[in-house]
Amino acid sequence: MTRLIVRRVLWTVPVILLVIFFTFVLMRQIEGNPFRTSERAIPESIQQNLEEKYGLDDPWYVQYLRYVKGVFTLDLGPSLVLRNRDVNDIVRDHFPPSLELGALAMLFALVVGVPLGMLSALRANTFFDYGAMFVSNVGFAIPSFLVATLLIYFFALEWGDIFGLPTSGWDTWQSKVLPTIALGLGPMAYFARLTRGSMLETMQQDYIRTARAKGLRWRRVVVVHTLRNSLIPVVTAAGPILGFLITGSFIIEQIFAIPGIGRYYVTAVTGRDYSVVMGLTVLLALIVIVANLVVDILYGFLDPRTRDART
Amino acid sequence: MARGSGGEKARQRNHLVLIVVVLAAIGVLAAAGSGLESGDDTSGAPGGPGAGRSERTLSIAFASRPRSLDPAFAVDRTSATLVLALMEPLVRLGPKLEVEPALARRWGVSEDGRRITFTLRPDRIWTNGEPVTARDVEFAWKRVLSSSTDSPLAGPLLALRGAAAYRACTFACGRLEEAVGVRAAGAQTLVVTLARPEPWFLRSAGLPQLVPVSREAILREGREWTEPGRIVTNGPFVLGGMNENGVSLVRNARFRPPGAARAARVEGRFVADAAARVQAFDAGRVDALDGSPLPKTDLVALQERREYEAYPGLETHLYAFNFTTVSDVHQRRAMALAIDRRTIIDNIAQADQLPTTGFTPEGMPGFETLNPSSPWLPETGDIEQAKELMGQVQDPVRNVTLLLNDSPGHREIAVAVQSMWKELGITTEIRQQEWAQFLEFIGPPPDASIDSFRLGWIGDYVDAMNFLELWTCDSGNNSTNYCDPAYDELVSEARQTPDNDERYGIYAELEQKLFGEDGAVPVAPIYWYTYVQLEKESIKDSLEVNLLSQTDYTKVVETDGSGDA
Repeated sequence: MTRLIVRRVLWTVPVILLVIFFTFVLMRQIEGNPFRTSERAIPESIQQNLEEKYGLDDPWYVQYLRYVKGVFTLDLGPSLVLRNRDVNDIVRDHFPPSLELGALAMLFALVVGVPLGMLSALRANTFFDYGAMFVSNVGFAIPSFLVATLLIYFFALEWGDIFGLPTSGWDTWQSKVLPTIALGLGPMAYFARLTRGSMLETMQQDYIRTARAKGLRWRRVVVVHTLRNSLIPVVTAAGPILGFLITGSFIIEQIFAIPGIGRYYVTAVTGRDYSVVMGLTVLLALIVIVANLVVDILYGFLDPRTRDART
Repeated sequence: MARGSGGEKARQRNHLVLIVVVLAAIGVLAAAGSGLESGDDTSGAPGGPGAGRSERTLSIAFASRPRSLDPAFAVDRTSATLVLALMEPLVRLGPKLEVEPALARRWGVSEDGRRITFTLRPDRIWTNGEPVTARDVEFAWKRVLSSSTDSPLAGPLLALRGAAAYRACTFACGRLEEAVGVRAAGAQTLVVTLARPEPWFLRSAGLPQLVPVSREAILREGREWTEPGRIVTNGPFVLGGMNENGVSLVRNARFRPPGAARAARVEGRFVADAAARVQAFDAGRVDALDGSPLPKTDLVALQERREYEAYPGLETHLYAFNFTTVSDVHQRRAMALAIDRRTIIDNIAQADQLPTTGFTPEGMPGFETLNPSSPWLPETGDIEQAKELMGQVQDPVRNVTLLLNDSPGHREIAVAVQSMWKELGITTEIRQQEWAQFLEFIGPPPDASIDSFRLGWIGDYVDAMNFLELWTCDSGNNSTNYCDPAYDELVSEARQTPDNDERYGIYAELEQKLFGEDGAVPVAPIYWYTYVQLEKESIKDSLEVNLLSQTDYTKVVETDGSGDA
C-alpha cells in the first residue's frame, strides 16, 4: 500500500509538468492580449511597459520555466487582468466554496444513490424498482441547470414560505441545499443505476448462494458480501466524478450566485489571463490526481485481490 | 432469486421505515429552518434570508462582487458604485450630470481655462480621525497615474499637464511626478493645471478614480488597504463588512450634511445570474437591482411592471465600416439608411434604447447643438432611398463580412441587419468571435477580412470630444481606416476652444462631416444605450441614476415609511 502511494506521488510530478506544458502551449496559440479588456486600445508604450513588467516579452522557454518554478514554489503570480490580485488570493478566496459544493454534491449522490440502487436491486422488478429507476433516468437525463431552475422556481419561490430556502447565495446551510441537489442529482442517478446493476450481478454469484446455503443471515449476506463487492464500479466512477463535480460546477455556481472558482476560470480563459489559467488548471489537475489516488486506495480495501496483485 | 422468508420481509420493512423517518426528519428540519433568523445583523456582514431589516435599510442586488474597493481599480459598476458611496469626491454629478459641490465647496477657473483652484471643506475627516486635506487628493491622482499602480482608469487624468509623460515613465520618475499638474497649495486648496483648457474636467472630478485616498492607510497596509477593518474612507457610508456573498454599508455618523445618507444601511448582495437577481427582487429580498442587464427572455414582461425603470447611458452601439473595402460613400450611406432602428429596439434589444440620429449620445452636454439629425439615420430606416443609392454605386461590394463578439444579443441584431442589407442586394456573412480574438481583429488596424464590425463606444469623460476624437486619423482607436485631415483640423480647433457654446458649434460641424448631407458615414450607429432595472415602488422616486450610470444611495429613502418587507 505504501509503495502504491509513494509511486503515485512520484508520478504526479511528470503529470503536472505535462499539464503545465500543454496549457502553456494552448494558451499561447490562441491570439489575444491580456491587457486589453475593452474596445479602447492600449497605447504602444503602455503595452510595452506592461509586457516588460509581467515578463511577456521574454522568450517562450524562459516564460515556461518561470511557470514551472512558480507552480512548484506555490507562487502562482499576479493575475494579468486583475492586476491588483494574485492568483493565490483568487484561489484562497474562491476555491473553498467550489470544493464544498462538490463535496456536498458527492455526499448527496452517494448517500442517496447507493442505498436507492441497493434497494432497487433487492426489490428487482417491483414497483419500487421501476419507480426508483424511472426517477434515476429522469435525474440523469435532465441537465443540471434545468434542475436548478426548477428547484429554485418551486422550492424557493412558489413554496418559499414552506421551505424557507433562498434563491441564491452560499452562506447559511439553507442556501446550500438546492445547489447540492441540483449538482448531485445526475451523479446520484448514475450511482443508483450502477449500484443496482452491480448488485444484481453480484447476487448471481456462486459465493452468495454458498453464503445463504450456509445459513448466514440475509442482512449480513447483503451488506458484508454483496454490497462490498458491488461497490467496485461505483468507486471506479466516483473518482473522476468527484473531480468533475469540483471543477465543473460553473453553471450551478452562476445560477445560485455561489462565489466559486468556476467563474474565474471561464473569465480567465476569455480574458487571456495566462497566470490564472495556468494556476487553476494545475490546481484542478491535482484534484483529479488525488481523487484517483483515493479511489485506488479504496480498491485495496474493497477487493483484496487487487491489493496483492499490485506491487 | 429466491424471495425472502417472513423474517426477511420484516427486515426490508425496517429499512423502509428507516428511510421514511430520515426523510421526515429532513423535512421537519427544513421547515424549522425557515423560521430561524440567520446571519448576525450586528456583525456587519450580510446574513441569510432571515436577516432583520430595519426601517431604513436599503437592499440592492449587484451583478458581481466588486473587483476592488480601491478607486484606482474600480472598473466595474459595483466597484464604482461602492467607491462613490464610501468616499466623497470633490464634486458630485446630478441626474443630467450637473456639477454639485461635495468635498470641494467652491472652485474657480483661471482666465485661460487651464487652471482650476478648488477650495475644500475643512470639516471632513477620514475614518481614522485624520482630516481630509488637499494633499490626499493630490496623492490619489498621482497614484492613479503612476505606472507602478498600473491603473486602468487613468484616462481622465491625462488632461493634467505632465500626466502623459509621468504615466509612461517606469523608473526614476520623481522629477516627472513633481511636474504633474496637481498640487496641494494648502490644507484646503488644490490647484489643478491642465495641459489644455478643458472645461469638462470639472465633471471628471466626480468620477470614482478621482476621489481622495488616505496616503497613510495605503502606505501602511499596502495592497490590503481595502479590506474591511483596514479601509480608511471619508464618505457618507462606511464599510460594515464584505464577504463573498455581499457587502454592508453603514451610514457614517460623523459625516455632516450636505451629502449625508438618509438610509441607515445599504445591504448589497452579489448575484451573478440575471434571472436570479429578478427572482431575489420578486421574493422581496432586495429593493432594487443595479442596472445590469435583465434576463432577455423576460424583458417584455418586465417592462410592463410598475417597478421597471430605464436610464439612458452615454454609450453608442454601432456597426463600423472598413473604408478599404466598403470604399464608396453611397454604399455606406445606403447601408446606414437601410437599418430600421425602431424595429431593432422594439423587437430585439427591447430595453427602451434610443435610436441614434448621430454619433454622440443624447444627454451629452451640447447635444441640442451638435445633433445632426442625420438624413442617413432615419428611425425606421428608408429602404426605398437606400436601394436608389445602391444603384448609384460604381463598384458595389455585394459580399460583406460583419464581425461581432460573442456577447448575448449581438447575433440577433446582426441577423436583422443582414436581412435589411439583403434588400439592397448585399449578402452579409456574420462572423462571431470570442472577445479577446475580436479585439485582435478590430485592431486598429482592422483585419483585412472584415468589412464591417460591431462596436460599442462609451466615454471616459463627459464631453462630446470623447466620442468625436475617435475618428481622427491617429486616434489609436479608429478601426475604420477613415482619415480626413479636415476632420482632424476641426478636432484640434475644438481642443483649443474652452468656451462651451463655441465648442459645441464645432462639434456640430464635426457631426455634419460624419453624418450630414455630405457626410462620409464611416459608421452606422444603431442605438444609444440604456440601463434598465427594477425598483420597489416605495423607493422609486428617490432612487436616481445619472447619465454616467452612477447611483447616489445617500438620497434614497422609503417613501411609504413602513417597516419590514
